[in-house]
This record gives sequence, structure tokens and C-alpha cells, in this order.
Amino acid sequence: MERQKLIESLYRFAEIMVALIAGFAISGVIMWLGGYDPIKAYRAMLGTSILTTDPYNLAMTLSFSAPIMFTAITFAVGVRAGVFNIGAEGQMYVGALGAVLVAAMSLPGPLYLPLAILFGSLLGALWGAIAGVLKAYKGVNEVVSTIMLNWIAFWVVEYTRVDLLPNPRDPSKTIEMPEPGRLPILLKGTELTASIVLAVVVTLLSYYLLWHTVLGYEIRATGMNPRAARYGGINPERAVLWSFIIGGIAAGLAGVCEIAGRPPHYAITTGLSNLFGYGFDGITVSLIGANHPLGIIPAAIFVGGLTAGARGMQIVAGVPLEMVKAVQGVIIIALAVPGLLRLLKTRLTRGGG
Amino acid sequence: MAAGSRGAEHLIEMRGITKIYPDGTVALRGVDFYVRRGEIHGLLGENGAGKTTLMKILSGLLRPTSGEIWVNGRKVSFKSASEALKMGIGMVHQHLALVQVFTVYENIVLGLKAEGDARLRIEKLMEETGLKVPLDVRIENLPFGVRQRAEILKMLYRNVDVLILDEPTTNLTPVETDELFETLRRLKNQGKTVIFITHKLREVLEVTDRVTVLRNGRVVGVVETSKATPQQLAKMMVGREVVFTVSKPPREPGEPILEVRDLWVRNDLGEWAVKGVSFTVKAGEIFGIAGVEGNGQSELIQAITGLRRPEKGRILLEGRDVTGFPPSKLYRMGLGHIPEDRQGLGLVLDMNVAENSILGVQRGRRFMGKFYNLLWSSIRRHASQIIERFAVVAPSLDAPVRSLSGGNQQKLVVGRELSKEPKLIVAAQPTRGLDVAATEYIRKLLVDMRTRGKAVLLVSADLDEVLQLSDRIAVMYEGEFMGIARPEELTREQIGMMMGGYRLAGG
Ligand SMILES: Nc1ncnc2c1ncn2[C@@H]1O[C@H](COP(=O)(O)OP(=O)(O)OP(=O)(O)O)[C@@H](O)[C@H]1O
Ligand SMILES: [Mg+2]
Repeated sequence: MERQKLIESLYRFAEIMVALIAGFAISGVIMWLGGYDPIKAYRAMLGTSILTTDPYNLAMTLSFSAPIMFTAITFAVGVRAGVFNIGAEGQMYVGALGAVLVAAMSLPGPLYLPLAILFGSLLGALWGAIAGVLKAYKGVNEVVSTIMLNWIAFWVVEYTRVDLLPNPRDPSKTIEMPEPGRLPILLKGTELTASIVLAVVVTLLSYYLLWHTVLGYEIRATGMNPRAARYGGINPERAVLWSFIIGGIAAGLAGVCEIAGRPPHYAITTGLSNLFGYGFDGITVSLIGANHPLGIIPAAIFVGGLTAGARGMQIVAGVPLEMVKAVQGVIIIALAVPGLLRLLKTRLTRGGG
Repeated sequence: MAAGSRGAEHLIEMRGITKIYPDGTVALRGVDFYVRRGEIHGLLGENGAGKTTLMKILSGLLRPTSGEIWVNGRKVSFKSASEALKMGIGMVHQHLALVQVFTVYENIVLGLKAEGDARLRIEKLMEETGLKVPLDVRIENLPFGVRQRAEILKMLYRNVDVLILDEPTTNLTPVETDELFETLRRLKNQGKTVIFITHKLREVLEVTDRVTVLRNGRVVGVVETSKATPQQLAKMMVGREVVFTVSKPPREPGEPILEVRDLWVRNDLGEWAVKGVSFTVKAGEIFGIAGVEGNGQSELIQAITGLRRPEKGRILLEGRDVTGFPPSKLYRMGLGHIPEDRQGLGLVLDMNVAENSILGVQRGRRFMGKFYNLLWSSIRRHASQIIERFAVVAPSLDAPVRSLSGGNQQKLVVGRELSKEPKLIVAAQPTRGLDVAATEYIRKLLVDMRTRGKAVLLVSADLDEVLQLSDRIAVMYEGEFMGIARPEELTREQIGMMMGGYRLAGG
């Protein structure tokens, strides 16, 4: 059995390598057609993010990894329960809102952070639970409901930002998290805060939850065979709902960390621009990491590195931002394709039975 | 023609086939398997003997670790099922591989180039083979027997000469089985070759021309069916004499454990499936329900085990009203349930042996700690105990249950349920798909449970099984009991009549 597992992991590894090479090759061709030197560009991108010993670059990579590690957990726990929860984006928004609401209160200093975490994860869980209840008890397709909830969250938060919690000194953002409520910066002069520690801890906890607790067992059994789960004394509806709640907590924490642990803003900015997209990036991170918490950690660091390397690519290799975005997109999609195909395959075959 | 081949006599020659699975399981050890043109060839063997593996190799789904395959005097090496199909070899799996949401017609032509006269050809095939299937109905809306016919038709439409059927009768009613055999004989007359896997000796004797017996990955013998006896075949399979009857010490039944009163249950389509059934199962008693499958037995069991809500009536467990209780509660009160659909219901195929060994008792004190954490060492010990006690052949505790042979999957379910030490065991088709030795063993276990004072509710489509094991029998027909009696009070003819809807006079 050990051998089979080994073979399987080798196979997965080979798959990722092939996808990686394909992704880099395709974007290389795109850059080459656009008149840029792909080798130089890649050197700059990786050399300023992952393949470097420069602590400032590494710190930048890690600070980009934290939020997408959280949101990847949201998606992964959903997949384990057999649902396609793409609502991390909205759950993250409301989580951030929760943190800003706490920031707007006048509290004793040490209370800001724990309250923000509590409030943000609670709101995230609540937002997830809405889709969860709709899915489990009303049979509403979770893809549709989470997309709608993402937009509702977007406008609710944007409205609140403008009308209720504007920053008196800076109209482009909300009230800031006060100094004592901020997560400590790990490396002076960088954006790297204890967010990454929190993200890794939450990821490890989700691993423990899925494979070492009864709830995780019941969630996984439900995801693999809801009929057998019911036979096994499990309430599959409840297991699905739990997966949304747990996912909502993780996404909510992503939002909290962007407020309490991401210099320079410590607030929600216009158009939610400092949050926008992390929820969706989490989906690809999860797919790259085989929807497994322990795969998500390296996957998040890699994708974080691509984001962090964008700067290097622009400055060192002179590639314009639009091209950089295209390159990132192609590489991420190439990496996510194997996982996505596998997921769709199991979904389709199961959908039949 | 290649040297050394006897293609004239044998359509198929598999020589020295060895198969080692990636996890190191040796499923086949140098098997020679020959099939003559135009015969119905039986393949017998215990659970895990390697029958399915051998046939998957022949049909191109698996590649042998070593060995040669010759078809029609030519050496072949299939890289996929479609290559085997091109050589005229097609397999119908035990768990059918049809697309549920497609119609029969769509399934049959799936993956083939569109042909104008496809429909006509299929209709002609149906005519010739007697395989009648409604072409425009979705698979999910058809009974199992009809689905199977569709799958056979699909293979014939692809012009197979060799049709492999893996345990085709396990999910068929007796009537459907007879119809299938009729079809097989007809195909044989048309010159097709059939390979037929089964555990039922009676079926082998009835329909095959020759039989190959496998044991533990080796061929132990090839016999002409006309010269074989059931005892001989059983002995070849198991390697020892097999007793076909279970000894049952007399026992006075005790307190009522399960009481069912005027129970009414609907099926998925909203029709009445169980219409006012009442009975009692006492401690120390096996209560058997016989009847042609599809007469409400499944819905009755689902209602009793908490998987389906009854519309009317009461279910009492040890005198307590448990009508509408969820399975988790019923398990805590002492219910064990061996479901008829082990793959869809009784197991999570992608979970491993250890994980499956606690399905239903995962929140039991032995397996769950204070913080809702799983006590893995205790779980693994429990799983190894089941494996040991019930002789489950599994590569390891970490192997997904999917990789166990069908019979060993069933043994795992039975072992898990019996090791709960339940007060009431509901056993639906407990020996379906099991070889003679395992069947004997599980029947003995059920009788032991009963003799030790447990109540057993047995539902089986195998009339012999019900007659042999039960202390009392009910025959179910269209949702009603046609009568309840002791087995010795009934003749087979009477039971046959009751299965056809005649009420037991004075019962
Ligand atoms: N995918 C797999 N990986 C590892 N071992 C396997 C796999 N499939 C089957 N085996 C093992 O190979 C052996 C032969 O299995 P096979 O399914 O061929 O048996 P079988 O004769 O069809 O049994 P049954 O009558 O129970 O269906 C068994 O020990 C089984 O556990
Ligand atoms: Mg088999």
C-alpha cells in the first residue's frame, strides 16, 4: 500500500511538473511574440520571489501567500464535502467588514485583535452558512448561490465602506485598524506580518479537522458517497452545512488578516481593491494543491511568488503589467487544469449514480 | 498461423498470465485459460481468486504483468478496452458502466460514428437475440435486469464475438436469470462465445459447457460441465469438502425485539411499496422474508433501518417506539444493518479499510475521543480484528475498499455489522456475490447470532437460504405478506404460489 501511495504521489508530482513546464512554455511563447525575452523575464520573476535568498523578496512572496492559503482551505473543505463552494470571495469581504467594524469601536487596545478575529470569522461563517443552508436543505445549486452571495457581499461592504465607516483622513478607505490591533510585522520594512503564521496554523488545523476528527470523517464520507454516509448514521445535510461554515471561517479570517495584518492600508480601500480576487485565487491554489491542506501550503507559496514576482518582471525585465498578468494567468491555469479535470470527472460520474 | 497456437480449437488462449497489482498484491500466478469457439465457458472461484482480474486482462482493461494472450491464433497485446473490442472481445461488468442520464439508445451508440441505420440495426439485434429493451427510456429509470440487457446489447452492437459476463446474475430476479440464460443459449447458437463468471453452482451446471476453476490466482482444474457435480466443483474451489446445509440447534424464541405494526411505506415514485405489513421478530429467532425482488422488501427494510420514513404504522424496538428514528439513533439502540447494496450504501469505496470499519459507529466511545478526535490506533485495531475474525482478504488497512474483491467487500460489511454485537440484525441479501465457503461461513454466523439470543431479520432472494436459516418465514408479494409460517409447514410449491400472489390458506 505504501508503494501505491508512493506511485500515486510520484504521478501527481509528474503531473504538476508537466503542467508547470507547459504553463511556462506557453507564456514564454506569448512574451516572445510580444517582443520580450522570456528567459530574462522568468529569471526576474522567480529571482525576485521564490528562487532567491533575499529576505525582502521572500517576505513579499509569503505576504501574498497568506490570504490565498485561507481561501484555498474554503474551497478544499467544500470539495471534501462534495460541494463546489466558490464563495470565499464574498465570505472574505464580510470577514474584512467584521474587522473594520471592530476597528471603528473604541476599545481597550488588547481587545481589538481577538475581537476582530472573532467577529470576522463569525461573519464569514454566517455568509458561508447561507449558501450552506440553501444547498443542504433547499437543494439550491451552490455555484449559483455563492456567486450571487459574492456580489451581494461586495455591494454591502462597498456601501458600508462609503457611508458608515469612511476614514476621516483618507476618503479612499475605511477607518483603519488602530495600532494595537495590528498583527506584528515579522520582517522590518516588509509587508510580512503574522498573517502567514495564522494562515499556516489554520491550514494545519483544517488538516487535523478533516483526517483526525469525527466531523472531518463525516464530511469526507458525505463528499464521497452521501447515501453511504446516511446509512452510516451521518446527517449528510449537516455535514455539508458544516463544510460551508468551516470554509466561511477560513475565508473570514483571510479578510481579517487583510485588515489587521497587511501594511500599508489596514482598512478596506475603494472598490475593495485590496481584497478583490483573493477568493478566486484560492480556488486555483486549492486545485494545484490537490485540495489537500498539506498541498495547499506549497501551492499558495508558489502562487504568492508569481504575484510577488510581477514587480521584478516589470522592473528588471521591462515587461508591461498587462503582459505580466497574462503570464501569471496562463501559468496558474495550466497548473490548475489537472486538478480541475479530476474534480469534474468524479463529479460527473457521481452525478450519474 | 503462428507456431504453437491451436487457434482452430481455441478461440482464446491466455498463457501463463501473472498479475501483480501496483500495491504488490499477486492476483494471478501463471494462469492458463483456454476458451473454445462457440462455447459457454464458466469461470468459478472463491472471492478474490482472480476471476475479475483475469477477465479485465482479457478485455484490455488491465495489462498482465507477464504472460501471453492469443486470439484466433494471433498473439495480441491490448492497450485498452477499445483495442479488445476491435478484436471482438467485450465485457459486461458486475457494476454496470452505463451513463445513467442517457437513454438506452444513446448508451448503445455512445462513442461510435453516427450511422443512419443505427436504430434499425439495434432493433434487428433485439429481434435476433430476444433482448428486448425500451430504447428511449433513460437508464436510471430502468430495473437492473433491463439495464443489463442494454449493456449486453451495447456489446453485441459493437460486433463482439466473445462476451464476458462478470457475475451477471447477482442482481437479477429468478425470472430475469432464466431470460438471461435463454439469451446466452441463443447467442451460442449464433456462434458467439460466452465467458460467464458466477458463484452459483446451479447456474454453472445449467448453462455452461465447460468450467475453469480458479483458486488463489491459479487454475485448479477445467471440467466438462456434463461430467461435473456440485460437490466436486465446490471442493475444487475451496480445497475442501463444503457442507451445503447449516446445522441449527433448536432454540426457544424469547422476548420480542422488533415489532412492526401495520406499516405503510411509499417508494421513490410515491407509490405504495409496503401495504400494511405486521410481524414480530423475537430474540433467538431468524425471521426470513422471501419473495421475488421488487415486491417492497427494500422499502420495508429501509423503513425499519431508518433510511425511509413510513407513512403509517409503528416500528418498535424492544418495546420502544422508534418509528422515524434516524439510523444513528437506531444503531445506538442495538441495530445492525447489512444492506443489500454494499457498494452504494454499505461502504464508502474511496475510503480505506480502517475508515470503513467504523462507518456507523464513528461516534462510539471506542473510536472518538473527548475532543471529537478519532482514536486511530483503536480504529486500526478494530479493523484488524474484523479482518482476522471474518477472513477478509485486504492488502492493508490503508487500501481503499474499492480495491477489495466484491466478496471481500461484503465480508467487511458483515464483519463490521456483526461485531457491533447488535440486538437486532437486519440482513438483506447477506450472501449475494459470495463464494460457497464464505456463504457457508456467513450463514453460520447468522445462525450463531440467533442461537446466542439475537433477533435476525433476513431478506433474501435466494429461497434456499431463507428456507434453511429461518425459524419463521413470510412471503412478500406486491407490498403485502402472503402468509407467515414455519419453513417445515410449507412445501416449495406452496411458497412458489405465495411468491406469485396466492395467500396462504388459513394463515
Ligand atoms: N485495484 C486493485 N489493487 C490491488 N489489489 C486488487 C485490485 N483489484 C483486485 N485486487 C486484489 O486481487 C485479488 C483478486 O481480485 P479479483 O477482483 O480478481 O477477485 P474475484 O475472483 O473477482 O473475486 P470476487 O468473487 O470476490 O469478485 C484480490 O486479492 C483483490 O484484493
Ligand atoms: Mg469479481
